[in-house]
Amino acid sequence: MNEVKKTKYWNPYIGGVMLGLVLLSANFISGRGLGASGALKSVIVSTVNTVAPDHAENAAFYKNYNETHENPMKSWLVFQVFGVLVGGFLSGTFAKRLKFKVEHSPKISSKRRLVFALIGGAFFGFGSQLGRGCTSGSALSGMAVLSLGGFITMACIFGTAFGLAYFFRKNWI
Amino acid sequence: MGPLVVNEIISPDTNLFLAFLIGIGFGFVLESSGFSSSRKLAGMFYGYDTTVLKVFFTAAITALLGMLFFSLFGWVDLSLIYINPTFLHSAIVGGVIMGAGFIMGGFCPGTAFCAISIGKLDALAFIGGLFLGIVAFTEGYPLFEELYKAEFMGTPTINEFLGLSRGLFSFGLIAAAFGMFWVGDWAEKKFPREEY
Amino acid sequence: MNIRLKLAAIFLPLGLIIAAVPENTTKVYKLTAAQLLVEVQEGAQFMSTDEIADMVVQKDPSFQLIDVRAQDEFEKFHLPNAINIPLTDILAEDWADVLDQDVKMNVFYSNGNLKANEAWMITRQLGFANNYVMQGGLNHWAETIMDPKSPASTSPDDEIAKYDFRKGASMALGGGAVSTTKSNSDSSPKPEIKKKKKKKRAAGGC
Repeated sequence: MNEVKKTKYWNPYIGGVMLGLVLLSANFISGRGLGASGALKSVIVSTVNTVAPDHAENAAFYKNYNETHENPMKSWLVFQVFGVLVGGFLSGTFAKRLKFKVEHSPKISSKRRLVFALIGGAFFGFGSQLGRGCTSGSALSGMAVLSLGGFITMACIFGTAFGLAYFFRKNWI
Repeated sequence: MGPLVVNEIISPDTNLFLAFLIGIGFGFVLESSGFSSSRKLAGMFYGYDTTVLKVFFTAAITALLGMLFFSLFGWVDLSLIYINPTFLHSAIVGGVIMGAGFIMGGFCPGTAFCAISIGKLDALAFIGGLFLGIVAFTEGYPLFEELYKAEFMGTPTINEFLGLSRGLFSFGLIAAAFGMFWVGDWAEKKFPREEY
Repeated sequence: MNIRLKLAAIFLPLGLIIAAVPENTTKVYKLTAAQLLVEVQEGAQFMSTDEIADMVVQKDPSFQLIDVRAQDEFEKFHLPNAINIPLTDILAEDWADVLDQDVKMNVFYSNGNLKANEAWMITRQLGFANNYVMQGGLNHWAETIMDPKSPASTSPDDEIAKYDFRKGASMALGGGAVSTTKSNSDSSPKPEIKKKKKKKRAAGGC
């Protein structure tokens, strides 16, 4: 690590090996990779099922989802994401990083940051459904099993982000 | 032997419980590596912080090597592991949209959950956005169905696609990853930023 | 700083080992007669007509129906999007690409179980994966999907749900069942594909 930085974070290579071991154990135990966006989809489907059962029966997506899944909330990813919340909280507690704040570049306002986070989230949410998985579900887990789709998605995510980075530099630097 | 749940060494309910434990590990590692900070994540695209690149690729090659060695020792049957199916068009379009979301929002779904757990409010907004995006997809599904299902290629692996052996491709990937890490360290020195 | 080098010193040799050793191929497709007997007894090759109707209605791109009856029978009637590979042609080289692959799942059907099951046994013995048999054949298809019997009103819920599904599928596929009761399953569903390989590979993805 650089001398200028006094990092409290793990060395990225150590973190990477640890993350790799987590992913490996997911594959070894459950035969599948990690994920995140799928859990949100489960929440959405089960909300629609409860709030608007008529709609869930008629709209193509929910109808199919319910036909192929018994209980949307009883899914592997939902449990895993709960774990992520707990795990992140534990790590934040040990490292004394628990704090409510909006993180943003000093050049922009909190409001601007929040608006961009919302828009970015909407893009990411939509893209993750279309691309059948997000950075963790498709790109990382896919790469670990050498899935062609995983590599394509990974290249597209990082390629696009690099390509657009210039236009959004004010938000970050 | 593995995967345990498929070979019925553990029950589906135990599997869900283990999913929770795996999630804890996932969240803990992400947070400890600094993935709860959107500026750190976005830093990769400006060269001032390549943590994401290093963690991401180190994780991928660690898991990959682990899987291949497990398979070599007969501990895990690779043909029972889920391989993400490849739908060429939706993978590309979805990836491009996600890339745009990444640079605007500064998170991906997994890291957003991790960030919200330590109180980052921008992650909350991002998750709100995720909901909107997913609902837009599920509600408008008939519009995107054709794109979503186009160019189904089965579940090919990249080494099959390139006509290489699994091991050879993996070795190439590992070598490429270390090449990228070297570039990353160089970029961090060139565009130094203070820690936040 | 030097962690990168240390890691490289570990990973690159491991990678070389992996590149050098042959892949573990304990899981070859080709079966011995004894293994085949086990599979036949388990009947894992059978897929129910309900499962198949579901996939036909959903236009699941990951599966292919294969009619193993003679060509004239095929021309008289066949299921939507089925292709015709008469049992006598099953070993023809032309079809090897269709039968021996791991992209799609093939489902054989004939009038009953017999021919389709024979086709499956031959291909399975050759070591081809991803081939299945429609349980009961077209006769059973006609009974269950095209003209489902209405269950008694005292039947358990899942019987009735099954009937509703079958009627919906029947109408989506242009079957003979005419709806007498109000059914909300008449809009043909065009849902997302789920890989439903009968192979017990774990389900995953986001």
